[in-house]
Amino acid sequence: MTQVKEKKKTLLKVTGLKKHFPVTKGFIKKETIPLKAVDGIDLEIFEGETLGIVGESGCGKSTTGQMMLGLLPPTEGTVTFEGKDLTSLSKEELRRLRKDLQVIFQDPFSSLNPRMTIEQLIGEPLKIHGVMQGKQLRNEVIRLLKTVGLGEHHLKRHPHEFSGGQRQRIGIARALALKPKIIICDEPVSALDVSIQAQILNLLRKLQKEFKLTYVFIAHGLPAVRHISDRVAVMYLGKVVEVADRDSLFEKPIHPYTEALLSAIPIPDPTKRKEHKLLEGDLPNPSNPPSGCRFHTRCPYAQEVCKMKDPELTEYHEGHKAACHFPLQQ
Amino acid sequence: MSTSLLQIDDLKVQFKTGEGVVPSVNGVTFSVNEGETVAVVGESGCGKSITSLSILGLVPSPGEISGGTIKFGGKDLLKIKKRELRKLRGNDISMIFQEPMTSLNPVFSIGNQIGEVLRLHQKLDKKQALNKAVEMLDLVGIPDAEKVVSRFPHQLSGGMRQRVMIAMALACNPKLLIADEPTTALDVTIQAQILELIKKLKTDFNTGVIMITHDLGVVAEVADRVVVMYAGEVVEEAPVNELFANPKHPYTKGLLSSIPNVDQVVEELGTIEGSVPNPLNLPKGCKFNPRCPLATERCRKESPVLEEVGPAHQKRCFNV
Repeated sequence: MTQVKEKKKTLLKVTGLKKHFPVTKGFIKKETIPLKAVDGIDLEIFEGETLGIVGESGCGKSTTGQMMLGLLPPTEGTVTFEGKDLTSLSKEELRRLRKDLQVIFQDPFSSLNPRMTIEQLIGEPLKIHGVMQGKQLRNEVIRLLKTVGLGEHHLKRHPHEFSGGQRQRIGIARALALKPKIIICDEPVSALDVSIQAQILNLLRKLQKEFKLTYVFIAHGLPAVRHISDRVAVMYLGKVVEVADRDSLFEKPIHPYTEALLSAIPIPDPTKRKEHKLLEGDLPNPSNPPSGCRFHTRCPYAQEVCKMKDPELTEYHEGHKAACHFPLQQ
Repeated sequence: MSTSLLQIDDLKVQFKTGEGVVPSVNGVTFSVNEGETVAVVGESGCGKSITSLSILGLVPSPGEISGGTIKFGGKDLLKIKKRELRKLRGNDISMIFQEPMTSLNPVFSIGNQIGEVLRLHQKLDKKQALNKAVEMLDLVGIPDAEKVVSRFPHQLSGGMRQRVMIAMALACNPKLLIADEPTTALDVTIQAQILELIKKLKTDFNTGVIMITHDLGVVAEVADRVVVMYAGEVVEEAPVNELFANPKHPYTKGLLSSIPNVDQVVEELGTIEGSVPNPLNLPKGCKFNPRCPLATERCRKESPVLEEVGPAHQKRCFNV
């Protein structure tokens, strides 16, 4: 598996990516403090793979996804797609590149225009990019509907006539319309019922095989991430703390935060009830992150050095990197 | 043998809407014993939340309870006076909701809100109530409880707010706690903390808990017994180990196979075809038949009843 990966081509690469949002505080004496949503991350996404990005709310995973799409300009750092730096492109060039970079959103209820029919919704990207029109466009929309498990009879309906799972399928059809190379899936199943989640996860995998797609799968649900990803990156307060191929991350985590996250997942098997390694406290405020290693305030293994020095992301095994002064396994 | 705390019998709740009558809960029967955690599982719209709201007499308009009984401590909660019910609410039976932000009043301090329950039900004065509030916050694992009592909800994180809700729910030492998706809005690490806390209640105070959830992981973690609901009906009920090891109803089986497991990776997840039926237009016969892989002619015509398949194990299906 790892050997095949080495030959793989890097499709998207982010280097030193940062996003700071200005937050205004105070009423009389106003001051602006940067909220460091993403604070220096490096990631590579290889052609044909699924990279899972996990982390708790506020860790910057969605912001990272938006920067990968060129929807949000980074404060610092670059996003390179097939050798082109998204941040240096003009609007027009970026618009053309968007054909290759598509997105599926979390909430299928608010991401579809309620006044448009399904035919208009799915046909819209094809029209905007002037790919096709008329009869050909309709046939293509029908083909896309069938690919995602819907049918021709849905063409004239409006979004409110569909269930959550069906709407998510429409969202997927829209993302597929322009035959993209990479799809960023931002929490695509979190808003859905369990039985529907499985349908969508299976569909995403089927489409990946069929169209050789590359996915970035952003989610907080670890079981779904393990199911769909080839490699997984764990984020904490705007930084990547660990990145590895799926099995080594889930079986031999190096970073204490990854260990805690894994331990916190409730296992759907009552015979395997276990003592959880509970993390103390809550996520610190991202506009005022702790000094040194950001996880030190909640880390069970933290020592003096963790408060002073921010650990670098270091490679421990082939493709398994973590940022910790006291890694769990070597 | 532990004593029965709450007994729901043939509960029916319907919503009269402009488009017709929605039978949201259609003959639900189950019981909760002292110190027992019963999980009610099902997908959105299956009636699990409405069932729990009925216990407290909180069914929102235009919903109305059209039949059945809910017995708590020998009294039928559906028949007693509003005043009596108010005495029970927050005192003997309390509830935690999914969204801790909307369930707390933004203009009162935490101490004031927890104290309110105590002043009302236990007739404590302001100072005693505040002291007890600090004690409760301590109990649910909030650091710096003395400081937190004077804070306001917006100053706390989601996990902290949910703890405050739990502290409030537990202030009067209730016999029954109803938790409606208490961890759905929280991150995994915080979820684990809250679940640990709910488990502790059971052992420390012998509280009976009704845990409403759609997450089978949470069920496996905390429940003693599980009630599976589909389209307003109980389709299966069993002790937790039995349900996971030996599910009988095709819907339960489908649910169990559709969850990705962190411990084992499977090539393809099991699915349940289609989606939950429109409550205004429920299928004839067994309500699950359009999605059921085992459905026969009989399932499309007759409605199965809940029947015993093993010790404390019941299912509503013809074909198993």
